[in-house]
Amino acid sequence: MSFTKKIILAIAIVFIAIQFIQPAHNKSGQVLATDISKTVSISDSVQALLKNTCYDCHSNNTNYPWYLNIQPMDWLMAKHIIKGKEALNFSEFGSYSPRRQLSKLNGIANSIKDDIMPLSSYKLMHKNAQLSTNEKALFINWAQQSKDSLSAKN
Amino acid sequence: MKNIILGLAIAATTLAACNNNSNKSTESQNVSNNTHAISQTDNATITTSSVADAKNTVSIKEIVSTYLQLKNALTKDNSTDAATAGTTLEAAFKNFDKTALTAAQKKTFEDVEDDAREHAEHIGKNGGNIIHQREHFEILSKDMYDLVKTFGGGQVLFKVFCPMYNNGKGAFWLSETKEIKNPYMGKAMPTCGTIQEELR
Repeated sequence: MSFTKKIILAIAIVFIAIQFIQPAHNKSGQVLATDISKTVSISDSVQALLKNTCYDCHSNNTNYPWYLNIQPMDWLMAKHIIKGKEALNFSEFGSYSPRRQLSKLNGIANSIKDDIMPLSSYKLMHKNAQLSTNEKALFINWAQQSKDSLSAKN
Repeated sequence: MKNIILGLAIAATTLAACNNNSNKSTESQNVSNNTHAISQTDNATITTSSVADAKNTVSIKEIVSTYLQLKNALTKDNSTDAATAGTTLEAAFKNFDKTALTAAQKKTFEDVEDDAREHAEHIGKNGGNIIHQREHFEILSKDMYDLVKTFGGGQVLFKVFCPMYNNGKGAFWLSETKEIKNPYMGKAMPTCGTIQEELR
């Protein structure tokens, strides 16, 4: 066997081997008492936007497409999810302090407005995460209204 | 064939990168601080609290002065300096010695700190994106106002309101001078703002 062939074989073995190392999937399947829907009111259309554009990385329930069963894609995604949930977790929104809740809603509106979120790499893979101008307005409006109603409550 | 080799090579590199987990800063030290603060409240005397007050004013002063540096960088449209000040501010919050605080003070401080540190960090990481820095600065200013209201700023501060920022929603900031220099509009509209409150 030539040297090149040996290398290819070695890499192929590593590639197959890593397929067996799967990170735990981010899928709790239940709506926690701390879910954002229990803190602020969310219309069906906004709920759909949240689900399609945010929840994969910012909640306890990721929707896994087929290619995320292939390594190292799955690992990359797992890393993204950890970072995403650290910054904002819609499933645990209710556990944030009132100050943080307002701050996060403000941040949500701003990141949508400034096109910081959803991430462009995410939009590349998820066609329905590309928000139209109307969807953006709906989203920003919702975040601002939620913020206003929360600050009135506190 | 070459493509396959390349693909597998990329896969292998990513694998290596994935295992490089960055260190997460632990905040377990807060726990020990907490117990200390509670025991101090139990046998609180005038002397200890006055010592504590003096000590706190000094440290809060550092947070306030770094915030003002950040504010001044933004008035000059200087995103790089704002980023540096943001990073310094995050460190000032992190290094603040909470041991001398009463339980109630500690609660207020941590409530603000929890939020403000994140804003300071984002400002620090977004050198070059002054629009985003200003968005974080807006909420940070609210945090700072609450902090100064509780602990005192260690100097006279003014709460200044600009009604134009944010498409007419308006926002405020804290300033060390009566002279208006707007950190949200920068050089485009430096004098927009009215003094709403004097914090002594």
